[in-house]
Amino acid sequence: MSHAWIDGRPVALHVATAEAARLLAASRVPVVAGLGTDIAGARAAIALAERIGASIDHMNSETVLRDVEVMRAAGIMLTTPNEARLRADVLLMIGAGLVEAWPELPERLLMRPPMAQVDAITAQRRILWLCPGGDPTKLAGRAKVHVVGRNRKDLPVLLAALRARLAGRPVGKTLLAAKALDAFAAELRAARFGVAVWSAAELDTLTIEMLCGMVADLNATTRFTGLALAAADNALGVLQACGWMTGFPMRTSFGRGFPEHDTWRFDAARLVESGEADCAVWISAYRAAAPAWTRQVPMIALTGQDARFRQKPRVHINVGQPGTDHDAVEHDAATGTLVPAVAKDPSKAVSVAAALAQIAAVLPSPGAWPC
Amino acid sequence: MLTRIKGGHAIDPANGTHGVADIWIRDGRIIETPGGARADETYDAAGKIVMAGAIDIHSHIAGSNVNAARLLLPELHRGTGARRVQTPLSNAEWGTFQTGCLYAAMGFTTVVEPAVAPNDALHAHLELADIPIIDKATLSVLGNDDYLLDLMRAGASASHVRDYVAWTLATSRALGIKVINAGGAAAFKANVREFSFDDVVPNYGVSSRAIVRTLQRAVHELGVPHPLHVHCNNLGLAGSAGTALATIAAAEGLPLHLAHLQFYGYGKEGERGFSSDAARLAEAVNGAKSVTVDVGQVMFGQTVTISSDVLRQFNARNQASPKKWVIFDGDGNGGGIVPYNYRASDFYNAVQWCVGLELFLLIEDPSRVFFTTDHPNGAPFTTYPEIFALLMDRDLRAQWMATLPPAAVAMTTLASIRREYSLNEIATMTRAAPARLLGLRDRGHLGAGAVADIAVYANDTDRAKMFRAASLVFKDGELVVRDGTVTQYRWGRALTVAPGHDQTIERRMQDYYSDRYGLPADIMAVPATAIGRPEPFEAVPCAK
Repeated sequence: MSHAWIDGRPVALHVATAEAARLLAASRVPVVAGLGTDIAGARAAIALAERIGASIDHMNSETVLRDVEVMRAAGIMLTTPNEARLRADVLLMIGAGLVEAWPELPERLLMRPPMAQVDAITAQRRILWLCPGGDPTKLAGRAKVHVVGRNRKDLPVLLAALRARLAGRPVGKTLLAAKALDAFAAELRAARFGVAVWSAAELDTLTIEMLCGMVADLNATTRFTGLALAAADNALGVLQACGWMTGFPMRTSFGRGFPEHDTWRFDAARLVESGEADCAVWISAYRAAAPAWTRQVPMIALTGQDARFRQKPRVHINVGQPGTDHDAVEHDAATGTLVPAVAKDPSKAVSVAAALAQIAAVLPSPGAWPC
Repeated sequence: MLTRIKGGHAIDPANGTHGVADIWIRDGRIIETPGGARADETYDAAGKIVMAGAIDIHSHIAGSNVNAARLLLPELHRGTGARRVQTPLSNAEWGTFQTGCLYAAMGFTTVVEPAVAPNDALHAHLELADIPIIDKATLSVLGNDDYLLDLMRAGASASHVRDYVAWTLATSRALGIKVINAGGAAAFKANVREFSFDDVVPNYGVSSRAIVRTLQRAVHELGVPHPLHVHCNNLGLAGSAGTALATIAAAEGLPLHLAHLQFYGYGKEGERGFSSDAARLAEAVNGAKSVTVDVGQVMFGQTVTISSDVLRQFNARNQASPKKWVIFDGDGNGGGIVPYNYRASDFYNAVQWCVGLELFLLIEDPSRVFFTTDHPNGAPFTTYPEIFALLMDRDLRAQWMATLPPAAVAMTTLASIRREYSLNEIATMTRAAPARLLGLRDRGHLGAGAVADIAVYANDTDRAKMFRAASLVFKDGELVVRDGTVTQYRWGRALTVAPGHDQTIERRMQDYYSDRYGLPADIMAVPATAIGRPEPFEAVPCAK
């Protein structure tokens, strides 16, 4: 069974990596995209990008950068999934897509009360769900879910009205009657350790900023904090590695020799669609996702098995899945930290880090492979 | 390979050396002068100062709070400068690679990241592994964690606490234990906004004093070389000197380290109710022989405060400049990131600057006061050369003081202090003493058997210039810096301790994680194989 191809023809791995190196060396504006990989893979990808003057992007950057954008524009209050599990007496669930973003959410947060050992007074949990866009009441087991507003379109106005009432400001007509709105505000104010839970996949930055502002406001008198659910494909792990290695999130370029961050310029899809990029490395080790762009560009794809592309990659290497085929470090939704993931079904499939190291080793440009 | 550093003026207070001497290196270690052997390579250090590599005991250089600060403030570290082929990513401002290069260029070869949450240890170690050249170590933070507070509430035995501390050290691969506003972060989760040494954590019913005492004794009894590293309550507040004095008194003759004492050096005198209480603090430190401190000097300019004292950071959030901040309720301490601009024209900032220097100069024993800015909280570590110069030159201090608000200087004793540090005292404070404090017997000196971490400086009368760019730096005997420029990467190690613990704690931790979190305790592990470097750790022996 083959694991590497050039233009669809099976080749040995070293032949594929040599061709990849040749393509990258000949490229003037390469992009390293997808980045669905573990920490070792992300490190190798960033180091490679630095070496060849590429930009880096993650397939879920759009989602991750919404939370980052709010943080660096306005600030943010956050907690961990485990603290929310132990202490939250009020869970304020925001909008749709929460269980899709974190399938264990009902089991880990909704279905259980806070720990009486940690705080005997708050050993009750109240679940308020704003504009779920469906019926979430069954997700919480025996815990009751109080739904406010069904239509997800109503969320931004409802949040704004709620924040205004919390600040004692008048509001115009909203989805909720004035009394109900004030009762809701009072309930949030009465929380002892409230946690707002959201998924940036479903919200725009202004809505997230409104929510985070409201959470901060609530802390004038009580404790309230936020839990931003993680995007898939180790997006938060890759964000962390980008942060410490380059100082910036993904969508950072080394084209001018030093890291430059710009969420529009270094959007990999934009770079390819506009014709600016002339070569792409695409990485999807957790799945076999294909890039969303439609324009033809010479591509080196490192993916899980059975990837289906719009255009055949020039070089395609099947890589192992982190935490399944090989040991890995990745962001964990349950802890909110980087954790070790021991291979569930170890195999000889090449890791992203190893494949990229092979490519880098045969690049003609000067310099060792020192980081 | 035999290397000779020839004819330099060696300053090695640990071995009482102060004079011209050759230093010989073989296989990464300093050796006795070999009779009749010829060096494979010789470096001429005539007229230069030779010291052991410097050791920084308290600098926030890695981990998720530091990384969040990077992401919070992209405008403060825009890239510049061409790509460096031999040291890739070293032009990424404030990245891990630049951190290692900047430290090495100043002759620092070991740096301690002092605030790692045990559940964030893997992340911190991954960042540390990407800091080239230097060796690193972490302090693990306990004292706001549910497990310890729960143990204390239940009146658990001292041996159970010791086993937990030892398990935490081993699991998180740390060199020591730090407590940060003991109980304050846990109390903040219960909406407490002020928390002092004798206040009690709601729900748990234990005082800050009891937490400090419990951890101090556990660390001491385990034989961990570095004493409990304490970040006191009430950081930054007028009158906080009282808290620090109470904490010093609570040491009760056992080893205790107080971090960034400058931030507690404040009284409530004067029109603004903010004054220096440094003289009283220094006197207390001089009298408490089991206590060590580091300073946390403030220098003027833009910085960002990164602290696991989440309560303090929350209370300081409205002073953020630029106006944005992160407050993080973590599993134990969490943390807060508040950007801040220290201004020489600001009364309070000027008092803070004076207080730090007063502590440096009024604490008599340079082996009990350590050189830090609490990077980046008082100032970035890149300001160290200027601080060395200020300590060594009272005229320079007078020049600086002349630019500060006179009302601020008048609230301090700095203008009356004539002491100037000698190079020998600088070497004690930054080499010999930190090695002893951390239990690193083969570091901080130039004697035979020491790790060949060596800094050679031009003996410039401009001390800031001298310490900013070392002429030569050797790490493990390998030349890594020439004239202040890193010439190539090598990968350092993280220093760890692992005092033994009873095996029952393993099962207890598994049970605890399963019960509280529904997770295996293995999520806390820092496997050596996960770090991605050969031999990422080096064990430091414990006393017991």
